[in-house]
Amino acid sequence: MTYKITEEDNISTIFLDGEIDMDKTEEVKEVIFPIIDSGKNVALNLSNVQYMDSSGISVLIESHQKALEKGTKVIIKDVSKSVLKVIMMAKLEQILNLE
Amino acid sequence: MSMENLNQSEKKDFLVSSASLKDVRAFSRDVFEKFKIDEDLREELVLAIAEAAQNIVKHAYKDFPNTQDRMVVRISCNDEVLEISFFDKGKPVEESKVKHRAIDDIKPGGLGTFFIQEIMDSIKFEPGKKPWINNLVLTKKLAN
Repeated sequence: MTYKITEEDNISTIFLDGEIDMDKTEEVKEVIFPIIDSGKNVALNLSNVQYMDSSGISVLIESHQKALEKGTKVIIKDVSKSVLKVIMMAKLEQILNLE
Repeated sequence: MSMENLNQSEKKDFLVSSASLKDVRAFSRDVFEKFKIDEDLREELVLAIAEAAQNIVKHAYKDFPNTQDRMVVRISCNDEVLEISFFDKGKPVEESKVKHRAIDDIKPGGLGTFFIQEIMDSIKFEPGKKPWINNLVLTKKLAN
């Protein structure tokens, strides 16, 4: 998995790339959580994530909940068709902030 | 799925490790391409297989993160029924404890088994024949 982060105003956009499974979740958390903890809003761009399993979905839920606790927001942007299918299977499309 | 690809079977063994999950997916994708499974269904099946393999790593080998044991994934297609079997030598599965979290109780974790149930038609735990301890069998009827 690779990633890139861009900053604009108070939003950090994290572009994730690759397949996110149990083996990669710690790495993904290490990228996302410190930014949420710093009080910034986060946009997760998932256009280049073609596969995500239940572990990856758990990271999205945890990020969302962490941001709520901090009074910030995690927005999920440009979700690939295959990942959207998994988010919908988990019935999370109304819970997570999808754009 | 074309008729000439009925009654086929492929199997492969993998180190029981989260690092093997990408190889399990690659194997599954190759087999589904060979079996000419509908493209729309392929990634769902890959997800179900990867979740089941993940459960072996996460639960059956919970106390043995550095195991050198191997697990086997076998994908068979017979009379338009896809059967996917998993064999491992980990802690015996207590079937009564295999359940997903309530889907409206939004919290991290507990979704893997839910995904498997959503995607597959049946989930059975068969007694593992030596040398195996666990044998999970997933089936899915394929559309004509």
